[in-house]
Amino acid sequence: MKRRGFIKKAAAATAGAFTVPYILPSGRLFAASGAQLAEHVVMVMFAGGVRQQESVERNYLAQSQGIPAEGNIMYNMLDGLPPTQKIVYGTDGNLAGDTPIPQILNSTLQQQGTLFQEVRSSHAGHYGGMNALLQGNTLFSQGLRQKPLNPTVFEYARRHLGIPASKTWFVGGGIGNSTPLMNYSNHPDYGPDYGANFLAPSITFGSQGQEHLSNAKIYHPEEELNPIYQMKYFLDNNFENVGGTIESIYNTEDEKQNIKLFMREMYNLGGNISRPPVSDNNDLNTVAYAVEVMKWFKPNLTVVNLGNVDACHSNYTDYLRALHRADHAVGHIWNQVNQIPGMANNTVMLITPECGRNLNSNPIKDENDWRAFDHSDANTQRVFTQMVGPNVPSNLVRGGIGNQIGETADNCPTIAEILGFKADVMGSGLISSTAQSLFDRI
Amino acid sequence: MLISKLKYFIPALFAFTLVFSGCEKDKLYDVNEETILPANANKTKLKSDQQYIAILYANLFQTALSSDDLFEASECVQSIGDKDLVHEVLISNYMNQQGVILPTNEEMRADVDGFLTETYNRFLVRNPTEAERQYFKNYINTHPNVRPELVYFSFALSNEYQYY
Repeated sequence: MKRRGFIKKAAAATAGAFTVPYILPSGRLFAASGAQLAEHVVMVMFAGGVRQQESVERNYLAQSQGIPAEGNIMYNMLDGLPPTQKIVYGTDGNLAGDTPIPQILNSTLQQQGTLFQEVRSSHAGHYGGMNALLQGNTLFSQGLRQKPLNPTVFEYARRHLGIPASKTWFVGGGIGNSTPLMNYSNHPDYGPDYGANFLAPSITFGSQGQEHLSNAKIYHPEEELNPIYQMKYFLDNNFENVGGTIESIYNTEDEKQNIKLFMREMYNLGGNISRPPVSDNNDLNTVAYAVEVMKWFKPNLTVVNLGNVDACHSNYTDYLRALHRADHAVGHIWNQVNQIPGMANNTVMLITPECGRNLNSNPIKDENDWRAFDHSDANTQRVFTQMVGPNVPSNLVRGGIGNQIGETADNCPTIAEILGFKADVMGSGLISSTAQSLFDRI
Repeated sequence: MLISKLKYFIPALFAFTLVFSGCEKDKLYDVNEETILPANANKTKLKSDQQYIAILYANLFQTALSSDDLFEASECVQSIGDKDLVHEVLISNYMNQQGVILPTNEEMRADVDGFLTETYNRFLVRNPTEAERQYFKNYINTHPNVRPELVYFSFALSNEYQYY
């Protein structure tokens, strides 16, 4: 072959390698539809129902208990000085909670990224709110103990990016509130073939997991696991399954082996993982393991669900403590993400509460005689969203009291835009007609 | 005289009998259409997590799991998204415990037929078909590294085992 001909063919082959679409589990062909703003996204479903008054309004006790003590207890995420009196949200010193947790970020996420101060949450409940964040839709026909009806952002990502299950993770704070159902939908065009791996570290690596999973025998992949799988597949081929399908996400055998090695490593470490400086509640435990998931698998999409703030139903002091720790947790995630090779400087993080909380309290009082708050009224529709990372404008605030910009359903198309499949999501006809990428709202 | 009359009567009677009995309408037997399903097709209900764990434990240890352990183990299964994977981990965890009732490799190889019947009965609550028996006999005989533990593992992981 002449030199010129060789160069021509080599160039064509190289171009082809970049443009040939992916072959996906469905057998259909899709090309990645857009440029990526970052290769990785972490979304934090923030904390379990957060009032604007104590978060972006920095009112501490002033608009909940009628005590003139204002200040910012989320100083990793938001600008503003902390309260100077009635400190109960920290760790225990001379008095319970009197020692605030030191800030762990050099500059706040507000300074590093973009804050949408007033975002509309269309759901007053956790499950509906989380589904809106994941599906980009506010389906009111969605049942509580039912798989999402429309595709989740995990499914969009896997289908339209052609990535395997181990590249999408949903790390839940537990298994209550139908949380394990949210890793994929029932939608016929998407579903379990495109679902994310789900993990609830408080169970998997908690006392239950230690008792029932940690002592697993390690089988030799070729000499032991191969025969097991071969005999299993023979039995499966002989089984006339007339009772419906077994629904579960699917990891390849290599992925399964890798996940088992990850679990083994976590059990071997016995909880000695890179935890936040303060790690005294379930949310902080959850983010510690979420970070380990990110270190091990470097997922394109990780969603972390925190929920301790929901203590506010019956204990306002615990709510403040959990809110302060949720901020600490987010700071820890951002610190750690930017130390993971491959994810550092290549990850966008989004933080949004799934719903707000009521304006008026319920009758329950805690040990400080402070009133608790549920989530059902118009104030519940008020939340915020923060974005930080490459291609996200820094030190930008959009919206404010009385000027809602954005909605919780925006997070799904926003993630799609960051990872490069926005056109597929926007053209799917399956997201809310009012949802749009937050980049388009800036 | 009588004999000469009988001479004509008997053949006539024979001919009459032959003609009229031969004209009787044939009976037609139809066969109803039946869908032929294999022996395992009557298993149509998916086991719940708790049912799966309780039956698995009973099959391996020949004793019941306590209700506390059953509750905790089912929480573990719910805490991981890939059900195949968590079942693998759970089974291998049980296989690492004392008390699993397993035949030895020698016992299996001394009576493969008996081992297969016992394994099918224990895990799938039925007898193997001839094809299944032949496959496993062949597989066990040609794979010296296959031991009863691995066979049990594959049965506990099989799709059929998820149903009842």
